Amino acid sequence: MMSNLDRISARRDVRRAASLLAAPLLWLLGIYIGALAILFLTSFYTVDSFTNQVIHEFTFQNFIDVFTDHAYLNATLRTLGVAVSVTLVCAFLAIPMAFYMARIASPARRPFLVALVLTPLWASYLVKVYSWRTMLTPESGVIAWLLHPFDVQSPGYGIVGVIITLSYLWLPYMVLPIYSGLERLPSSLLDASADLGASTLQTMRDVVLPNVKPAVIAGSVFTFSLSLGDYITVQIVGGKNQMLGNVVYQNFSLNLPFAAAVASIPVVIMVVYLAMIRRTGALENL
Amino acid sequence: MAAISLAGLTKSFGDVTAVDHINLDILPGEFITLLGPSGSGKTTVLRMIAGFETPSAGTINLDGVDVTMVPANQRDVNTVFQDYALFPHMSVQENVEYGLKVKKVAKAQRRARALEALESVALGEYASRKPSQLSGGQRQRVALARALVNRPKVLLLDEPLGALDLKLRQQMQFELKTLQRNTGITFVFVTHDQEEALVMSDRIVVFNAGRIEQVGTPQDIYEHPLTEFVSEFVGTSNVFSGAQAQSLSGGLDRFSVRPEKIEINSAVTHEITAQGKLKDIEYLGPLIRYVVDVDGQHVIVLSQNDEQNSKDLANHIGHAVTVSWRRDAMQVVT
Amino acid sequence: MATKRLFTTIAIASAAALVLAGCGGSKSDSSTTASQAAPGGAAYAGPVGAGEGAVNILAWPGYAENGSTDPTVDWVTPFEKATGCKANIKNFGTSDEAVALMQSGGWDVVSASGDATLRLIYGDLVQPVNTDLVPSYADVFPGLKNKSFNSVDGQMYGIPHGRGANLLAYNVKEVTTVPDSWGATFDPASPFAGKITGYDSPIYIADAALYLMKTKPELGIKDPYALDQTQFDAAIALLTAQKPVIGEYWGDYLKNIDAMQKGTIVLGTTWQVNINYANANGEVVKGVLPKEGATGWSDTWMVAKDTKNINCSYKWLDWIAGPTANAQVAEWFGEAPANQKACALTTDPNFCTTFNAADGPFWDNVYFWNTPSANCVDGRTDVKCVPYAEWAKAWSSLRNS
Repeated sequence: MMSNLDRISARRDVRRAASLLAAPLLWLLGIYIGALAILFLTSFYTVDSFTNQVIHEFTFQNFIDVFTDHAYLNATLRTLGVAVSVTLVCAFLAIPMAFYMARIASPARRPFLVALVLTPLWASYLVKVYSWRTMLTPESGVIAWLLHPFDVQSPGYGIVGVIITLSYLWLPYMVLPIYSGLERLPSSLLDASADLGASTLQTMRDVVLPNVKPAVIAGSVFTFSLSLGDYITVQIVGGKNQMLGNVVYQNFSLNLPFAAAVASIPVVIMVVYLAMIRRTGALENL
Repeated sequence: MAAISLAGLTKSFGDVTAVDHINLDILPGEFITLLGPSGSGKTTVLRMIAGFETPSAGTINLDGVDVTMVPANQRDVNTVFQDYALFPHMSVQENVEYGLKVKKVAKAQRRARALEALESVALGEYASRKPSQLSGGQRQRVALARALVNRPKVLLLDEPLGALDLKLRQQMQFELKTLQRNTGITFVFVTHDQEEALVMSDRIVVFNAGRIEQVGTPQDIYEHPLTEFVSEFVGTSNVFSGAQAQSLSGGLDRFSVRPEKIEINSAVTHEITAQGKLKDIEYLGPLIRYVVDVDGQHVIVLSQNDEQNSKDLANHIGHAVTVSWRRDAMQVVT
Repeated sequence: MATKRLFTTIAIASAAALVLAGCGGSKSDSSTTASQAAPGGAAYAGPVGAGEGAVNILAWPGYAENGSTDPTVDWVTPFEKATGCKANIKNFGTSDEAVALMQSGGWDVVSASGDATLRLIYGDLVQPVNTDLVPSYADVFPGLKNKSFNSVDGQMYGIPHGRGANLLAYNVKEVTTVPDSWGATFDPASPFAGKITGYDSPIYIADAALYLMKTKPELGIKDPYALDQTQFDAAIALLTAQKPVIGEYWGDYLKNIDAMQKGTIVLGTTWQVNINYANANGEVVKGVLPKEGATGWSDTWMVAKDTKNINCSYKWLDWIAGPTANAQVAEWFGEAPANQKACALTTDPNFCTTFNAADGPFWDNVYFWNTPSANCVDGRTDVKCVPYAEWAKAWSSLRNS
């Protein structure tokens, strides 16, 4: 039974928790969600065509423009394609990498390998992208030189270059969750699978992959959303291609409402994506 | 022919020799227990038999065939793991079927066999559950069914009962023993619990520091421990040595006596007697435990709970008592 | 479960924020009729007194250097020492960004190109400038004074800073026939397809319009910044046809330098400063002013309407347009200085010749960036011109198609 004293202290606990959480909650609701809401609201306004100042007049015109102009549909599809490809490339590379790090390398070397995977994150984003620009240079770049003996041309500047560069940039965000997922996987499961007669490949397919799936999905949230929002990489290595981020960047100072309408596309895509993966329970892995 | 034959089996991890030249023959249909403290090498031996570890030296024969370098998935043995190692993403049914599936057993047949195996461990109605929805004891039984459904020649059990509470453990000990007797499969059972080993085994192999101390039936091991380590690890023992041993036994350098073989202040005294001082009395329910100081050596005595007796002795704490045992209760140890 | 609750929370919060923002919005409906007539109020009467202690400067990269880029490149520190005004500098990347930053407020002076100036003037963001209070103004080349992009009805809205032309660059090894027309970049069958560049901004539409002005007289284009719908559509059609031969567009001048240096771009529009950098390790590109002329920029230092540091602002205007600083900035950035006396102070004695600093026929063919508006900037009144917002939309659409 609860004594009066306990009850008072419980009430005090609640009050203390509330006062502790008030600031972050205010931040979450006011700054973060509020900003998103204002963004969405702005997309229904229009601008003065000469001074580019926002006029608070309700209109669907921005969305009509976004959905009727094929250019923006193309940009959306291109952006989605890039985000999906980057996510697949990252998963494809990260699973064996993480498996080696978590399962094959000796435990003493693991922290070192994790540090190695994280190293690229310490370098400036722009430096990395410009390095890829140099490497991807058609005809004279390192990639062209490496591919030359196989009679294959460098992808040069274009969508393939963007996918390669973004995959490089976001790979650590895929490796780390898979690594921690694999590290948590009890080694007895692999022994058990072999014990029951499964080959290494069967064990990979039937035991390892299903168990790291939530980790891969968690990683994909990063690679997918970071790719959706990127606009600098595509400017530097994308040739003349553009993604949704570029449309926003091109328009935000001239036609903020239109930029807001375009900016809500990736937000909607992300919400749909998150809702889809929520069923898998992978969000708990983030 | 031996079901399993280990010859010169050695395993080193870096500088540490976990298993040091083990020679052992395990007979078909035998329930053999590898007993020892943690780090004694018993689990490593089991893992080498299963194929999870490659020996540093020596050979392993299964049914007369050298399988030392054969990978785990091609050995006709199955393992029940300490943590059960059930696949968390598969249902109970799928877990049990998995071994048959990779052996390409037809779907209908493997369903039937899996269900049969689950029913044999009384879990038929849990087939569609996920392992996370089962209790510890139920998971244990699924693990057993998953191994047995493959009808292996040898079943390896790595401390399978360690995580269960006492009652459930005792029940499972009985069930495992019955199962082994009914199927005739060779069981190799690893445990650090000497009582469990005594209860279940046909034979016990006592491990210490990577080596075998003694192999024998439970009675052998208990009644005739060959080394001080065995006498103290299996049950408790009073080990006497040096001049004291010489004078008490009349010539033995080193011997052990089980506490229950010693009588204290009894009407009839046995061949060997000694005077000591009663230090302590502990009440254990069915038994009473006495600690007697005999010339500086603490001698443990266990006797049946005879209330009168213990009450009388309670007044003797700090006083002189006589302990005595029969000559044949002494076991020479090294 | 926890995530489900979070989603609900987001939904409720968003709805609440929408309602709140909606209420706030209705108040400012009056801004619909943004004034196009009465810009900026009265100019500062002076006299320029003691400084307020600080000035907030919004500048193109390279226009306000305080030694942080290169210790030897510094004309801001001497300004601070001489005037006691501490300079807080922010660089912007495009004219559009400059306008947006001015709209957000807090800046005293801005270096605005012609495609930003009118937006700033008519957006009521800058004030007229009393040139009598800026002694350096007397030495500014007459060809930069009272232009349509820096003045309204004879009233200057800033002090000219410098000018430059967008040149046609060509790789000296690969392009063996020296191009003399922008047509080389607009040729859909160009042998240099995939290695041609264009400027990544809506204002690049004017480059297409300029080419059409000289090659398709039947369109009647008189000013590349005053295009009616038909003329505008023709320019867009030209750019659409050009897109397949474009390798990449450049907005970041470092990217343009890199591409020209590596030879991934061999033909296209550029700035003199980019050519200088690209040729730093031996000549790879040359720039020409094609026979059609070129678009270009003429930058103006303007004063924010609501500045709190008016005296420091005027001191900055006089400093940056003065011969010493103007020579330094022109040479560092690679453009023609606005101050005639600056030419005597450049470290390279031929600098002003290289960059055609003096007024003359070179500039007759250079069409400085201007802000297109519905009221045609070429003076036509019988048609409506396509305003800059539409240029931006069309450019965005073209770039993403």
